[in-house]
Amino acid sequence: MNHKIRKLITNWRVVLLVIFIITSIVAIHPVLSEGVAIRSVLTNSSASLAGIPQPKPNVQSVARERILSINNKPVKDVEDYYTQLSGIGPNRTITIKTTKGAYKILTTESDIGLRVFEAPATNIRKGLDLQGGTRVLLQPEAKLAPSDVSVLIDNMKERLNVYGLSDLAIREANDLPPPLGTGSQYIVVEIAGATEEEVKELLAKQGKFEAKVGNKTIFRGGQDIVYVARSANEAGIDPSGGCGKEGSQWFCRFRFSITLSQEAAQSQADATRDLNVFYDPVSGRSDYLSEKLELYLDDKKVDELNIGADLKGQAVTQIAISGSGAGQNQQEAIFNSLQNMKRLQTILITGSLPVKLSIVKTDAISPVLGEGFVKNAILMSLLAILAVAVVISIRYRKLLIAIPILITMFSELIILLGIAAIIRQNIDMAAIAGILVAIGTGVDDQIVITDETLKGETANVYNWKEKVKRAFLIIMLAYLTVVVAMIPLIFAGAGLLKGFAITTIIGVTIGVFITRPAYSAFVEIILK
Amino acid sequence: MEQKSAEQKKSVKQSLFEIYDRKYKLLLVIPFLMLFLGLAQIGYQVHKTGELIKKDVSLKGGVVVTVPYGKDASVSLIESQISSRFPDNDIAVRVLRSAGAVVGILVEADIDGNDNLQVRNLLSAIESSLNTDLSKADYGIEIIGSSLGESFFRESLIALAIAFLFMGLVVFIYFRTLVPSAAVILAAFSDMVVALAVINLLGIKIGTAGIAAFLMLIGYSVDTDILLTVRVLKRKEGTVMDRIISSIKTGMTMTIIAIISTIVALAVTQSEVIRQIMLILLIGLIADIFNTWIQNVGLLRLYVESKAKKGIQI
Repeated sequence: MNHKIRKLITNWRVVLLVIFIITSIVAIHPVLSEGVAIRSVLTNSSASLAGIPQPKPNVQSVARERILSINNKPVKDVEDYYTQLSGIGPNRTITIKTTKGAYKILTTESDIGLRVFEAPATNIRKGLDLQGGTRVLLQPEAKLAPSDVSVLIDNMKERLNVYGLSDLAIREANDLPPPLGTGSQYIVVEIAGATEEEVKELLAKQGKFEAKVGNKTIFRGGQDIVYVARSANEAGIDPSGGCGKEGSQWFCRFRFSITLSQEAAQSQADATRDLNVFYDPVSGRSDYLSEKLELYLDDKKVDELNIGADLKGQAVTQIAISGSGAGQNQQEAIFNSLQNMKRLQTILITGSLPVKLSIVKTDAISPVLGEGFVKNAILMSLLAILAVAVVISIRYRKLLIAIPILITMFSELIILLGIAAIIRQNIDMAAIAGILVAIGTGVDDQIVITDETLKGETANVYNWKEKVKRAFLIIMLAYLTVVVAMIPLIFAGAGLLKGFAITTIIGVTIGVFITRPAYSAFVEIILK
Repeated sequence: MEQKSAEQKKSVKQSLFEIYDRKYKLLLVIPFLMLFLGLAQIGYQVHKTGELIKKDVSLKGGVVVTVPYGKDASVSLIESQISSRFPDNDIAVRVLRSAGAVVGILVEADIDGNDNLQVRNLLSAIESSLNTDLSKADYGIEIIGSSLGESFFRESLIALAIAFLFMGLVVFIYFRTLVPSAAVILAAFSDMVVALAVINLLGIKIGTAGIAAFLMLIGYSVDTDILLTVRVLKRKEGTVMDRIISSIKTGMTMTIIAIISTIVALAVTQSEVIRQIMLILLIGLIADIFNTWIQNVGLLRLYVESKAKKGIQI
């Protein structure tokens, strides 16, 4: 027996399975997380002024910044967080300790501007229907070119970020292309932890962009900005300024041009005529005017730009916009400065959304219901697996067959969730259905392997290799039929069932190429 | 005495087997009658309502409100109370249960979701009927535009057709013979027809999740058919009947496990998505027992016999 076990654990198919399981557990990264996770930081709130950074949208769940304590009193859960805060009056300085540092925050009449949620215990991304939030499906009223769609999506992200909503996903979805379908385009906006009213109100807003000097509006988005240069030779790292090193940091400058309407150029001339040229005592140069050009998105200041001294009082329609980005090395500085440039371009285009969008579907799921769904889905899966175990034990009357089948089912589940965590596929109700199908067909396949190799009159006719090969012929054919049946669903119906199709395909693929070979190795070595 | 009853039992089993073995042509009547009745039901449904299925609001547009609710409630009472405020609309109320306990109330209404006034009216009707304050409850709301529902339905029918076509192609390329491939495809088709007809007869409305279920059914359905066809056509050991019996042992284990899992899921789940999927799968799987082990077996045996007459031994 010892010999057999050694042979089993050194078998490459079993080793491959173990590697996949370990990688998946690392990817899922289960932790006992304390405190509450920060979902978003409202712009210009006390929290953002205290330096708490806005979470990056694609950060893995367990890597999120978490609030551990307020004034050294541990924060247990979301409710505790709000109770503790409400007990502290305005105009007091509190210390919030997080996983990344400690912040001193001055409380005001309104809240401190943090949106929090229960700290996630794994990297598995729960879909909206499981964690609560709002999903809106929008349809452009006219057909958009692919480049316009990406401009539109960047635009919407920028605008929603202005409102401190960073835990969001915006993506394109499509119907089947003609002649099969209408080829309709959709934009899906998913915002975790936001209510339906908040999202609808935001999307209904016009996306007002204004550029001001002092208090005077110079130009607005849309009609005043005729053109924003975005092609590679008109926009990018400034060829004359380039990159340079200052201390330990690298800095790169970017530049691009925009074209203003005649009226906007005139009002810019009027506003800058009486400004002074600013003398910079450090560099000893007088490059810029004393006031800056301030950019506002929906009345919130998002950026400011220096105005070149040569523009004073000039009605110029073509304006060069420049800025910079910093980084630890040249590459990082280039990347960051191009990132800043893209953001600025997006803001300048905003207000002129290429097309009107209409809301065709809204889902809002309350976090309370979502939590219940998760618990229920886990209970359901465990009971289903238990039922399978009972039937298999009755059929084969051998624990040595039932237990490996159970182990295979669980490893499939773990690997599937691990891959979902790595590719950042959300697990929603439809995806859970997909997981159930995948594991269900997995059980079917293992029964085929068991019966083909261990049962019946064939047992002595063929050698082992032949028997395994015959089992896999049936399995491969069944596998292919499931995959080809799921493929159309990825492209059809505004992507509503895409998650289901993708999880099913991933699941059955893992089954056929990883867990099934390991199971057959087990049967071969231990049961033969 | 005991021995006698055991003998009797054995003879019942034996005579059933004999019927299954000898009268397979006659038995073919059962699955084909099921298929015919299924098609008739669907035809009648289309004739009467102009629709293939009873669509729920996710396919025809409307509003779904889910309210967490711990008390038992009378569905018909809530339904009539809400309906009285929306005489022209179709209102459906369901109690969400988890392992028997009430966890929430789900209200579906085919009102115009873009009309804020109507949505607010619906919410207030639910509030007064359940006697709760929704602004304090963590309720969920889903609003589907009618054009989206319609285009989604059209799209998923096309997806289903393509999926079926692909599946058929894969099966055909693998077996490279017309009759056995057609029998596999026909069995999958019959499963879907019977499942759809039974769902219609039960008066159950289908939404986006239901479409997914029909696709899943393709996969589960062909599993057993492929097993059967491979064993009968590509194996040489034993008689054709021996191979069929060995397939039944394996295939029925697969189907029974799937059926029991769907029943467990149906009993436990509180999700509408899972409930719809599992119900359709359950009906399809039961139909699959007949369509695989009577229909597909019968057609396959006819094929083998016609080959034997031409002197080709399988």
